[in-house]
Amino acid sequence: MLKRVLALALTPLVLQAGQPLWSLKPVVRPDAAGIDELAARMHKAKGLAVAGAASKTTLLRRVYLDLIGLPPAPADVDAFLADTSPGAYEKVVDRLLASQQHGVRYARHWLDVLGYADVDNGMVDEAGIHHWRDWVITALNRDRPYDQFVRAHIAGDLSPQTEDFFATAFLSRSASGAEDKAEGIGFGAVENVSSAFLAITTACAKCHDHMYDPISQRDYYAMKALFDPLAPDKRLLASADQIMAFPDVMAKWNADQQAIQARMDVISQPYYKALTEDRLRYLPPDVAALFRKPEAERTEAEKKTVKDYDTVVSLDARKYRDVMTPLEIEKYEGIRKGLTELRRDPPALPAFWSVRVSADRVGRKSYLYQGGERSRKGDEVTPGFPFAPADLKFDGASDRRQVFLGWLTAPENPLFARVAVNRIWQWHFGEGLAASPSDFGNSGQPPSNAELLDWLASEFAARKYSMKALHKLILMSELYQRGSVATPALRAANAQIDPDNRYLWKFPVRRLEAEAIRDSVLAAAGTLDDAVGGRSFRAEDILERRVMSAARTGHYDTRVNRRAIYMGRGADGSMNMMPAYLATFDAEEGHTPCARRQRTVTAPQVLFMMNNPLTHEASRKLGERLQAAPTPAAQVALGYQLTLGRNPSPAERDHALSFLASGGALDRFAWMLLNLSEFVFLP
Amino acid sequence: MTYPALGRRNFLRRLSGGAAAPALGYLWAAENGAASFLKPGGGTHFPARVKSVIFLFMCGGVSAMDTFDPKDNKHAGRMLETVNSNNGRPQLRPVLHCARVWTRYGQSGIPVCEWYPHVGGVIDEIAVLRSMYCHEVGHFPAVGEMTTAHRNRTFEYPAIGSWISYALGSANRDLPTFVNMGRPSAPPQISGGYLGAQESATPFMAGEAPLENLKLPPGVTRAERDRHVETLHQLNRQFHEDHAFDREVAARIRSYELAGRLQLAAPELVDFSREPEHVRKLYGIGGAETDDFGRQLLLARRLAERGVRFIQLCHGGIGNGKWDSHDDVADHAPLCRQTDQPIAGLIRDLKQRGMLDSTMVVWATEFGRTPYSQNTVGRDHNPHGFTCWIAGGGVKGGMVYGATDDIGYKAVENRRYVTDLQATILEQMGLDYKKMNVQVNGRPLHMIEESQGPIDAILA
Repeated sequence: MLKRVLALALTPLVLQAGQPLWSLKPVVRPDAAGIDELAARMHKAKGLAVAGAASKTTLLRRVYLDLIGLPPAPADVDAFLADTSPGAYEKVVDRLLASQQHGVRYARHWLDVLGYADVDNGMVDEAGIHHWRDWVITALNRDRPYDQFVRAHIAGDLSPQTEDFFATAFLSRSASGAEDKAEGIGFGAVENVSSAFLAITTACAKCHDHMYDPISQRDYYAMKALFDPLAPDKRLLASADQIMAFPDVMAKWNADQQAIQARMDVISQPYYKALTEDRLRYLPPDVAALFRKPEAERTEAEKKTVKDYDTVVSLDARKYRDVMTPLEIEKYEGIRKGLTELRRDPPALPAFWSVRVSADRVGRKSYLYQGGERSRKGDEVTPGFPFAPADLKFDGASDRRQVFLGWLTAPENPLFARVAVNRIWQWHFGEGLAASPSDFGNSGQPPSNAELLDWLASEFAARKYSMKALHKLILMSELYQRGSVATPALRAANAQIDPDNRYLWKFPVRRLEAEAIRDSVLAAAGTLDDAVGGRSFRAEDILERRVMSAARTGHYDTRVNRRAIYMGRGADGSMNMMPAYLATFDAEEGHTPCARRQRTVTAPQVLFMMNNPLTHEASRKLGERLQAAPTPAAQVALGYQLTLGRNPSPAERDHALSFLASGGALDRFAWMLLNLSEFVFLP
Repeated sequence: MTYPALGRRNFLRRLSGGAAAPALGYLWAAENGAASFLKPGGGTHFPARVKSVIFLFMCGGVSAMDTFDPKDNKHAGRMLETVNSNNGRPQLRPVLHCARVWTRYGQSGIPVCEWYPHVGGVIDEIAVLRSMYCHEVGHFPAVGEMTTAHRNRTFEYPAIGSWISYALGSANRDLPTFVNMGRPSAPPQISGGYLGAQESATPFMAGEAPLENLKLPPGVTRAERDRHVETLHQLNRQFHEDHAFDREVAARIRSYELAGRLQLAAPELVDFSREPEHVRKLYGIGGAETDDFGRQLLLARRLAERGVRFIQLCHGGIGNGKWDSHDDVADHAPLCRQTDQPIAGLIRDLKQRGMLDSTMVVWATEFGRTPYSQNTVGRDHNPHGFTCWIAGGGVKGGMVYGATDDIGYKAVENRRYVTDLQATILEQMGLDYKKMNVQVNGRPLHMIEESQGPIDAILA
């Protein structure tokens, strides 16, 4: 039935756009044995020469950084070099895919696509959003099939697996910044669901029909109607004891505040009359006269006037400071500081913002908003979505989202698997086969190897959407295991045809992400705490900024040596909450989904790595580790193993030894290792 | 193509319908069927009048009627409907009595309040724009609107300095193209957004080390570091040779070079010792309240001399911005004192060096403040009408452009959206605001989507 529905739905679009849009055509499985055969066909057709296999050490460091985001330890390198069996590499791949750190690494990729932030404009940071992050880590580690992964994000509140409601932060996180929170969920859902799981861009259809793709404004609001019944839902995560005790905790907090306020009032009261008189200057004389009149003598009309103008006359704490004696100010401020501190960390029960179907929204009609503005209500719309079949029926469905999910995850939906495999390909090779991973529309880019993309999509479906199976399929290909160095002969052969290596005639070397660089630094220093899950921590530079949100220390982990996925990020109101480390290396703040990280390489990055305190401290620690080796030559070798997962070349060893021999300290040598280009690149 | 046509109709419908649609002359969608795209460092579209822009951003929202747009107090006490409703119910608030004292300055006789006497002294170099407006009422989105030309955050929009940096490239290989000083009040002010981190503002400080990470860690001497870097390069050699043709590694090699040149250029850049005493005085350096901002502005001039194209100064960028005087508009007074002499000093200094014509000084803020009281004797945010000004850079000095209503609530004459100010800056930099388009992952993205274009009336 669905097949027919899709065919009906897609045909007119294909015609409308003038030429068939590649991404909407059915997935056709090419007749081929796998990745390498399809890649070889492409190389042959283009006349490209290909690189040979990477060295074992290069491959090991590559697969470690790629799969778990950490460099291999010297013992891992030794074991891999010693294992000369044909299955040595596969064993490593299996071990890394089974590691808890694999979920940590790939969760960060997905959280970019899904728009995770610890704080966002108007988003409260005590709401337990980190449980969503941890849910993603766990889901990846358990290899939850991709269709379930998607279902949990769109309708986790309905899932038979209780923990899946944590995935609905994907929807609820759009609520908090919006004027009308429930409406915010709808708008966010349309844009984030369509970009993450369909790779179609809908944001422009909020205000007008899409300029490039067959998506009308009506489609946008029809899709929003799927989510219109939802409202944000704060779920308590507290224990019974915590809940029972909470009224007392609140009462104490309030009493503490009142006690402080009373001490302040003792100092400020004498100034009240003088200041009020000062304020009356700002009022028209007739109104000021009313304020001076005793309250009992005012007429009803006069009372109203006084009330209207009361806002001008009311006094705030800062005003007192202008008139008090310095001694009083000091005393007053001393007391007031306590109040500020107390209010900074209000008691709260642990909770999580999910979504729920709201009884008073479920029966409501949905409307198109002209120009995207709620005040300009247009036609009524019925639930639907872009590319929906014409005879779409919601009758009998327990929830509108289920109907949408049925269509979205159907094997006949050509976008569903294509979008996912293209993302996973991108995370392994740096670029997707289609280079615009969240835009498979007319303004996106068609895939460089459409047959390969389709083969992977059909294989993904055949393997029941196991992401780990897909990873392994890609990692075991020869394509993935090729060297990344272009020899002069290779370059000469390919320079005219594919200078940018779009067709992967060698493995593409690329700069590591912010998180992987920082985690590698701490790993080399031996100070990385790789505990999985829990609250985010504030990077030290954020704590130093002393912005309001950062001061709520109760909500943050104090262990700052954890992996960078746990480094709190976002933009809270006007406050930049992005740690310098993340911002310098292109991590985005998560306000909008990020389909592909920028990979800029800049001078401030070089200076940052050279001089920031973290590198300085890590160099010291790494230097200490190197001291354990018995001879200078062994120290140099250990340094290379800890940072680059290989031994130094003879030339490198000689340069390093002559540096040490001329009085160079080990922590300075360690500093060099952390500042090597190779250290920040995936080889 | 079918879709652009449909889209065009839709845009025109939007343009003509409803009070919310601004009556603007230019909408990229209506005019550019096929947009042309900037090339990085592609250069100007027409000869540039201006080499550098010094963009002074007063964070928090400056009250126009307490600085450059005087109103008499005949409406004081009148109840006005507020910008923000109370859950859909209109709210009324009384118009505040304004206690400013105004002086007419210069040949032009433009009035300036008692808090800005030094700026008053150079008013004949300034074109005062009294009819600016924006859409956003909150700090964060409005700051974004003023700096990125976009009110929403559908994409990671780049700051105007990033656009200029991207379009024109560097004029000094030792220094970045877009520099920011002072803490920004919102990340979009310094972000290269979808143009990439390499176009983000480089944060400078007016101290002994202009860049945070130029400072060596404690215990490391410069001579020692030079030796380390030498060995570092030897250890890098093989990897760099192997990958010299990989774009990102090649960029890494270049960024080592720029980092090295930055370190070499920095000491001379921030060494004010050869600036004569009278120049330092001009900027208020050494003054209790003016020292910080004065040093930043002197550094700004030195950066402009060295070809840095966009120098942004964020004043009071803490929290929502220090200019956010909700409780008492008199809180503006110390902020004016901090900025008044340095700004006037900058303009005089540029003038005496013959740099004023090729350097544009823009004084801007995210929105103005309401004529009515919000609570006590402070003013709320007012996007409907506020003042910015420009000095130098080929604008006519000593003129007032546009006007707000009698109360100072809404711009009524020559209303100009914030993108018009941005278009004016671009125009003088030799850039066509309609051509500020790029393609990101195949998607055409536009810096300016709605604008009446440059404010021609103020250009000499």
